[in-house]
Amino acid sequence: MTVRGSQNARDRSGQLVSRALPHIVLLIACFVAVAPFVWAFLGSLKPFRELVSSSDMLPKVWTLKAYTDILGRINITDAFKNSILIGLVITISSLITSSALGYVFAKYRFPGRDLLFLLLVSTLMIPFMVILVPLYITVADAGLVNSQAGVIVVSLWTSLGIFMMRQFIANIPTELIDAARIDGASEFYVYRRIILPLSASPLAALGVLVFLGSWDSFLWPSTVLTSPENQTVPLLLSGLRSLHFGRYDLWSAGSMLTIIPVMVVYLFASRYFIRGVSMTGLKG
Amino acid sequence: MTATTDTPRPRPRPSLRERVGRVLSRPTFRFGAVVLLPTLIWYAIFVFAPILRSIQLSLLDYNLLDPGSSRFAGLDNFADLFANHRFWVGVGNTVSWSILSFIFIVPISLLLAACLASVSRGRAVYQAVIFLPVVVSVVALGVLFRVLMDPQVGFFNRVLAMVGLPAFSWLSSSDTALVTLVGISAWKSIGLFVVILTAGMLNIPGEVYDAARVDGAGRWQLFRRVTLPLLLPTLALVMVLITIGSLQEYTLPTVVTGAPGLQGGPGESTLLYNLVVYDEAFTYVRFGTASAAALIEFVVILGISLVWLRVLRARY
Repeated sequence: MTVRGSQNARDRSGQLVSRALPHIVLLIACFVAVAPFVWAFLGSLKPFRELVSSSDMLPKVWTLKAYTDILGRINITDAFKNSILIGLVITISSLITSSALGYVFAKYRFPGRDLLFLLLVSTLMIPFMVILVPLYITVADAGLVNSQAGVIVVSLWTSLGIFMMRQFIANIPTELIDAARIDGASEFYVYRRIILPLSASPLAALGVLVFLGSWDSFLWPSTVLTSPENQTVPLLLSGLRSLHFGRYDLWSAGSMLTIIPVMVVYLFASRYFIRGVSMTGLKG
Repeated sequence: MTATTDTPRPRPRPSLRERVGRVLSRPTFRFGAVVLLPTLIWYAIFVFAPILRSIQLSLLDYNLLDPGSSRFAGLDNFADLFANHRFWVGVGNTVSWSILSFIFIVPISLLLAACLASVSRGRAVYQAVIFLPVVVSVVALGVLFRVLMDPQVGFFNRVLAMVGLPAFSWLSSSDTALVTLVGISAWKSIGLFVVILTAGMLNIPGEVYDAARVDGAGRWQLFRRVTLPLLLPTLALVMVLITIGSLQEYTLPTVVTGAPGLQGGPGESTLLYNLVVYDEAFTYVRFGTASAAALIEFVVILGISLVWLRVLRARY
């Protein structure tokens, strides 16, 4: 009786451990994922002296000086305006082009349709480095170097978006579209009133993906944009490294200013972030 | 170009002219044309022409001041590239980067995905937190890690000192910079692979596990004999993504190492392939060799993608 009892208890505790184990591993992973942000954020609230001398996690003196400093010293508000403007234009354009092309490729029949679709989607495999130099020459010839238009113009269409939207719209019943057509709806009306509303969810995921991509984009903007007033946020941050060398308080504050808005949005829409970004991975 | 909808055509055959006229006046034709024409023009200018131009540039001795007088150079650019030791440094570092990425990412993301697939409560929350670094700007992260990893005053070495460990050189020594950088990159991207692998694991039907359990399989055996083999296509995708990602890595090493103009340091320890290509183009202004180098990258990525498609086809 006693033997059996203790064995049961051991079984049960064994089960408890094996139940808890995944949770423990995941909690550690969550800690590792978040800790650098917390350390950096707390660091950004320390005075410069303390930041480079104390190993305490919490600031002894809490201050927003790094933030007021960075706002006063460099044109971070302009950079935000530029980044937001570029991001919005690229996102809106990508959503329109991707959904319209998705509709045409999914529901229209014309000779060469599948070949054309394959051709557009296969450009996903092209590394940006391959077209970087010719693209630069083209944009320079068009007089768009050092202008936001030069950044925007190369991202008006997105092959991944076309692919995603075609896959989704193909599943919208054709009868629905035909019914609207019989009622006299124009093609634009079908697109606007049937296709777009039904595609809201993948469009949201795509929108998040495109905006994030533009928000983080570094290679092309750093090649095209040269003057300080046209810089986007990543360019400005990168420039801090030489402009204010060793000013870790400014570096931390600047980075946190870039990260915090994204995190706040992520808090409410992590679903769309995960779905959108995972789709880049699942395109194969 | 004609556009028709799914509706059947009328029977009596009208003349060619009539038929063309009918197609042109179809609402689907007009909408299709409005959508497709600008698309084709944009792709021609910003994707297809640059690719062809890139091939052309790689065969030219490009004259920057007078592009029209550029001389045909045959394969000289490729020869120059192979003679440049930076090219080989870039190749070596990129291969190391891929291998280190595998070592960092594959086991940990498998473990985390297995844990996520096995918990019933809190999966979405765990996943969202682990995914967080994926969505954060690379440049901001690069700058932050520069601060945290400063050998003297950075937080990481402070923590090491507090627990009595010797300071680590992180990004400041050519022995440790590459592995540190891969660590940051793995930390940032692992959430993506965890999400992909978790989805793959949850797609494995529960009956397979039940059958294996009836046969007396333990936890490890279940993972080893059921999960892993059935997860192979997903795992292959993850590996392809890691490899292609490594080949295309540019921003993180650029932002984290050195000041602008001194990327790839210390020394040439983190000089990845794309940094070599970019420098060829915009530091040394040798468009020919830069294009040649980029095309080699293209061919490698194309090869990997095709092998991957082949594997997929063979399985389904």
